[in-house]
Amino acid sequence: MQHKTYIPPLNFSPVVSTDVSLYRSGYPMPLNYSFIKDRLNLKTIIYVGDKEDLTDEYSEFLKAEGIEFYHVFMDSCRDKNINSQINTVLEIILDIDNYPILIHSNKGKHRVGIIVGIIRKVLQGWSTAGIYQEYSIFSGGLKGDADLEFITMFETHMSVRKDKIPKYVTDSLNI
Amino acid sequence: MTDDVVDTLAEDLKISKAVEALHFNSPTKPKSESLNTTNKNENEANNYDDNDDEENDNDDDDDDDNDDEHIYINEETETGVERILVSKAPEERIVPPLNFCPVERYLYRSGQPSPVNFPFLLNLHLKTIIWLANEEPQDTLLEFCESNNIELQFAAINPDAGEDDNPWDGLTEHSIINALKTIVEKKNYPMLVCCGMGRHRTGTVIGCLRKLMAWNLASVSEEYRRFSGSRGGRILVELLIEAFDTKLIKIEKDKAPDWLLTAVESD
Repeated sequence: MQHKTYIPPLNFSPVVSTDVSLYRSGYPMPLNYSFIKDRLNLKTIIYVGDKEDLTDEYSEFLKAEGIEFYHVFMDSCRDKNINSQINTVLEIILDIDNYPILIHSNKGKHRVGIIVGIIRKVLQGWSTAGIYQEYSIFSGGLKGDADLEFITMFETHMSVRKDKIPKYVTDSLNI
Repeated sequence: MTDDVVDTLAEDLKISKAVEALHFNSPTKPKSESLNTTNKNENEANNYDDNDDEENDNDDDDDDDNDDEHIYINEETETGVERILVSKAPEERIVPPLNFCPVERYLYRSGQPSPVNFPFLLNLHLKTIIWLANEEPQDTLLEFCESNNIELQFAAINPDAGEDDNPWDGLTEHSIINALKTIVEKKNYPMLVCCGMGRHRTGTVIGCLRKLMAWNLASVSEEYRRFSGSRGGRILVELLIEAFDTKLIKIEKDKAPDWLLTAVESD
């Protein structure tokens, strides 16, 4: 019946899937491109990670699909400028015009886990226990204590346009 | 196998207790009202000031103790565009059910929701909950569904087994089909698919759905195993998914959710 199978990127999952879509995954490989192209219709990809150079295949794919690509450098939660790096990501996420968005790191475990944890906490008001559990589902049971502590302690201070905030955030926070 | 069940129960209890201790810290407010109080705005602030002290006593460590600071402040700029200040987590936190995760647009998966999760569920505006078990869910969940007009659908895992039913039995093809028939109709959305722990039975149904969506089998297994906990995936579940005949599910164009149509149309 099915002639073609689709291979989502490693650790792929929706993070938010309501009126807008936000996805998470590991680093997309060429064998994942058809899935991304046919199924996700992305407008934006955010890469949080340490690899400076994109492969030729990846940059060609992004160009061909007209996907806006942001590389936000991130090694771990111990980075010196970690808060401003995370603010950069949050600013993109808090603008409805950037959706659908995929956030990926290398394996989709720890760095993406930090970002998703912060979204769950600051933008959606999830409990700490729920955030920890989700982190561990995607990190394959690895604890990542430093990451979880970082998420728990994280606070920011940023001003964003109210009319650009996605509905899942305004709904969760009763703005 | 008995170990598995005991372990499961212990884990469940531990988590729900921990969660309760952490987050429903205000004795003055009933749980069902938590949604309405998820966030403070300036108008309500005065009413809360009296409670602040008691709340802080049990507050978990990630919330700042300074309750006078409000989180979201509307600011008017010179351009007249209203801006919002984002800084930290809201005062009242919502607790997702065990193993909760979005699957597709307005489709979610999880373990059995308990009362601590009801404010979270209300935020999802669910229309249907598919419960994959032979036994009824907890009374609290039945009442929650009733009072919020949520259709609770039983997809009995093995209707013929009667008294001999074991919680670790795999789903029958019949029950997988039943669940999927509900999933392929958009009129039932938003929807939550759940079982006791949100691992194996939920994983079976979601796995078959992924197969229906033409996902590569290794990716289906990867997703299933992610939710299967520290004991890992069961071969039986992966075999069920692999053997499942997707032709048994009829997808009607005008009734199916859009994401499913794009997934099957590209064949």
